Amino acid sequence: MEEGAPMKWWRFSRFVTLQVALGLILSALLPAAAPAQEEVTSAIRRYKEREASTGYYEEHEVKPRRDRPFVGVPGVMRKLFPYSPKAAQVRSRTHLADSHRGIQFYAMRRCDECHVEEGKHGHTVRGNITCRQCHGGEPIASINHYFSPLNPIRRHSYVCSKCHEGASVSFATFMVHEPKAGDPETRKTFPLLYYANWFMLLLLVGVFAFFIPHSVIWVVREFIHKPEEKPHAEGKPQDEPRE
Amino acid sequence: MSRESRIRRFSVVDRIFHLFVMVTFMLQATTGVGRLLYTTQWGKGMVGLFGGYESATAIHSWVGIIMLIGFLVHIGYVLSKVDWKKFPHSLFNEDSLIPNLTDLKQMGQKIRWFFGLGPHPKVDRWGYWEKFDYWAVFWGMPLFAVTGLMLMYPVGASSWVPGWTLNVALLLHRAEAILAIGYLFIVHFLVGHFRRETFPMNEAIFAGSVVLEKEKEEKPAWIERLELEGKLAERAAPPPAPWFRVVYFIFGYSVVILGLYLLLILFVYRGQIEWH
Repeated sequence: MEEGAPMKWWRFSRFVTLQVALGLILSALLPAAAPAQEEVTSAIRRYKEREASTGYYEEHEVKPRRDRPFVGVPGVMRKLFPYSPKAAQVRSRTHLADSHRGIQFYAMRRCDECHVEEGKHGHTVRGNITCRQCHGGEPIASINHYFSPLNPIRRHSYVCSKCHEGASVSFATFMVHEPKAGDPETRKTFPLLYYANWFMLLLLVGVFAFFIPHSVIWVVREFIHKPEEKPHAEGKPQDEPRE
Repeated sequence: MSRESRIRRFSVVDRIFHLFVMVTFMLQATTGVGRLLYTTQWGKGMVGLFGGYESATAIHSWVGIIMLIGFLVHIGYVLSKVDWKKFPHSLFNEDSLIPNLTDLKQMGQKIRWFFGLGPHPKVDRWGYWEKFDYWAVFWGMPLFAVTGLMLMYPVGASSWVPGWTLNVALLLHRAEAILAIGYLFIVHFLVGHFRRETFPMNEAIFAGSVVLEKEKEEKPAWIERLELEGKLAERAAPPPAPWFRVVYFIFGYSVVILGLYLLLILFVYRGQIEWH
């Protein structure tokens, strides 16, 4: 053979075969494309995974609720305690298994350090019971959490009946932590209480504002009256006018 | 004393009803104010006088029931005394406690008299302030009865009305109590004890009789009417026995002192009164 002559074809094909084989093996090891990862897929499954509701709604997506959830921002103080990033993850505090989740420095605090007004109602002050006797031990579940003993659907039997034998669901609608009747907010949350308070207040003020000056002025006026001023009964002849 | 002729103003039944209201009301007021101010030292002391909080509650509840029964008896008595054959005149006359336009006119006259702008009105049997006194208690009783019963039997009440009405019942009960206490111990006592004409005490409600000459100044239209109808003679009454006067003076003044004491306490502890 002469030098510089083209490679023999059978030598060339061996090289190509080797390359093609290597390429096929390598391509088998590549990650598969996404649609190929599902074992089974359908429109329904895709809908359920991507479009159906998670059950969680943002605040702007729902009507305002009575127990409005309060959502904090990390680093922001809310009343007495700071919100941690974990707490800020919570979108609604009324449905938690642990209603005090994420609140910083929660341990070693007393209930009434934060819940000041709630400690002043009749059950505590006169009934001599503690918060935990109704609200249970830690973790204290949110009131609307499905399994909370204070959930309104079972409050009467799990909590109220412990002392008030025979309590019914209606009985449990009594507000132990009554809002202040004079608060403007009570007008929305407990209107009958608000208006009853106003009615009684106006009644008292009206009655006293009239009758107390009336009586006091009368007492004073009678001291300075002369007997002739008061009309005597006519008819019989009078005796000497009495002083 | 024997020179002064007297006529009967309140019958024995009237006086018994008034005595009943006095006793039950003072019991309710003392137990009630003690419980209302239970967070104070004074309150604990007062409640202790009745044997503790539970005991005071029980007394308050049961005297309330007795008061309610008395109220129903009173209504029955009043309805039985009305001459239904002559209705409506038997109910709407000058002897009746039902207010009418004359009372309104007399109120205006009296206010003018306060400032020297006119004569004192010629009052008939009941002055408008006496009618107000009666009807104020009359309206307060059902309010106390209903709210009181609700609070006594909360479980039972909540099967008829929603439980949250108990919050409202408590507010109404306490507010009405403060109104009743304030009105009676200020206005009623001023009018009945501390006026020139009634100092030291208006004995009529205990003795049942009034001195005729004095009554001609207090209730001139009534005396005139009695004279016109010739009924003065049949109303003649003996003066009360001296021992009886002593008894009701002591009793009456004890109640006045107790009432003023409760008022003072309510004023001193006004910051601790939570009526809801």
